[in-house]
Amino acid sequence: MIGYTGRVTGKVGAGLVGEVMVQVPERQGSEAFLAYLALPGDPLPVGTPIVVVEYQPPRTVYIAPAIG
Amino acid sequence: MLIGTIAGVVAAAVILLIVLFKMCWRVAEPNEALIISGSKHRTEGLAEGLGFRVVTGRGTLVTPGIQTVRKLSLDLNEADLDVECVTSQGIPVQVKGVVIFKVGDDTVSIANAARRFLDQQKMMGQRVHNVFAGHLRSIVGGLTVEEMIRDRERLTGETRAASGTEMEKLGLIIDSLQIQEILDPTGYIKNLAAPHAAAVQRDARIAAAAADREATEAEQEAFARKAEATRNSGIQQAGYQAEMDTAAARALQAGPLAQAASRQEVVVQETKVAELEGHRKEQQLQAEVRKPADARAYETRTKAEADRDARISAAEAQARETELKAAAEANRVKIAALAEAEATKARGLASAESTRATGQAEAAAAEAKGLAAAEAAKALGLAEAEAIKARAAALAENQEAVVAQQLAEHWPEIVRAGAEAFGNVEHMVLLNGADGMGEMFAKALTMGGTGLGLARQLLGSMNGTAAPEAADHGATGGASGTGGTGATQKSGTHTIPVQGDPIV
Repeated sequence: MIGYTGRVTGKVGAGLVGEVMVQVPERQGSEAFLAYLALPGDPLPVGTPIVVVEYQPPRTVYIAPAIG
Repeated sequence: MLIGTIAGVVAAAVILLIVLFKMCWRVAEPNEALIISGSKHRTEGLAEGLGFRVVTGRGTLVTPGIQTVRKLSLDLNEADLDVECVTSQGIPVQVKGVVIFKVGDDTVSIANAARRFLDQQKMMGQRVHNVFAGHLRSIVGGLTVEEMIRDRERLTGETRAASGTEMEKLGLIIDSLQIQEILDPTGYIKNLAAPHAAAVQRDARIAAAAADREATEAEQEAFARKAEATRNSGIQQAGYQAEMDTAAARALQAGPLAQAASRQEVVVQETKVAELEGHRKEQQLQAEVRKPADARAYETRTKAEADRDARISAAEAQARETELKAAAEANRVKIAALAEAEATKARGLASAESTRATGQAEAAAAEAKGLAAAEAAKALGLAEAEAIKARAAALAENQEAVVAQQLAEHWPEIVRAGAEAFGNVEHMVLLNGADGMGEMFAKALTMGGTGLGLARQLLGSMNGTAAPEAADHGATGGASGTGGTGATQKSGTHTIPVQGDPIV
């Protein structure tokens, strides 16, 4: 899962439980994961491209913005 | 026979193999997961002693009798919610909704769900409802009524925050939470909608009133149009009725009118006959009397006009001829005058040239003559001065000799002057012949002698005034007039007696 990319579908930020849609090639589809910021920073609005920095099974990922 | 037996055995063996393969080969459908247990199998993330295999989306061999294969559905499930909640504003509401969930697609979620729901898959909705009712209360407690109604982002965010971790434990994923109905015992939502409803009702009433007004206006206009049409129709009907009555009245009067018309036609025809008769008589008179008279008058008038036109044409031709002659003469005269003027001008120019040349020649000649005459006069003057000087000297020396020389030099002129006295005589009568002739000539010549006497007197006066030494010697100057005797001179000078008779 680490290194996979996706986009924010529910606002991710401090004090929030966000949601991201990440493409998982092994399962040939995109899945929703609960998302938290890997590093404290500005909240990521809906639609922001992200990259998975850390994966906590079963459904939690820590993300960072893929651009900038 | 043997071959058939062998073939039958082979076929049976093939069939047996197929049956055995079908018993051992299990395939997982796309919407399900195979949970295979019964063999020692270590799976990442699962504790030891709970070994089972999770197969999704492919086939696998199982050992019948040794391994057990169970299916866990990965389909979508939903659970209806009906929960009494209190919003963040403290308003009690009854929320009816639906939560849509499914087993997670990853192996860990499938394993978690399999441990919890493998034998209770049909009860999964009830379990989720029971779990989610408490979560929904916490979710609604963090929202206002308006946010529940309008802010879906906030609702889904609160749902994830409240139930996400809990659902992970169960191996489930909440795909969607939908609030279907909010029952409001306090009437909050109704009151919330009241202003908008009133505004909408107001707008609706205004629109209805406007529409009613427009409809009424249209109806009244339609009524007015109908009344107008009715009026117009009545007017037209009355007009048509009047026309019908008029036509009926005319129909009633048609008989008398027809009789009168026929009578009128008879009168008209008779009048026409009379007019035609009168016209025939008039035509007859025209043909018998007026036409011949007109013809004669026309003939006379035509002849007179022809004579007049002939005379006019002759006069005009004569005038034209005269005019042309005069014009030709004038042109000729003009051309002759122009030629004469040109010739005169040329002659004048030539004459002027010749005159100018002649004048220049004459001027040159005169200039040369004048120069020559001047030179000659100058030389003559100088010579005469010299001669006068010589004569004066000679006179001073010997007057008589000078006078005698003068007479001798000018004797022909003296005689010519005496003869001029006879030049003006037309008839001369000689009375005494040759003697008279001689006497005449003698008298004429004595007139020339008069000049000699005058010369003598002049010389005498010159001697008296210009010779002081002669005065010193007592010589007398001047003449004593005609017939005077000669004066006494110095020694050496002789007086010439001249008889000065008066001219007869």
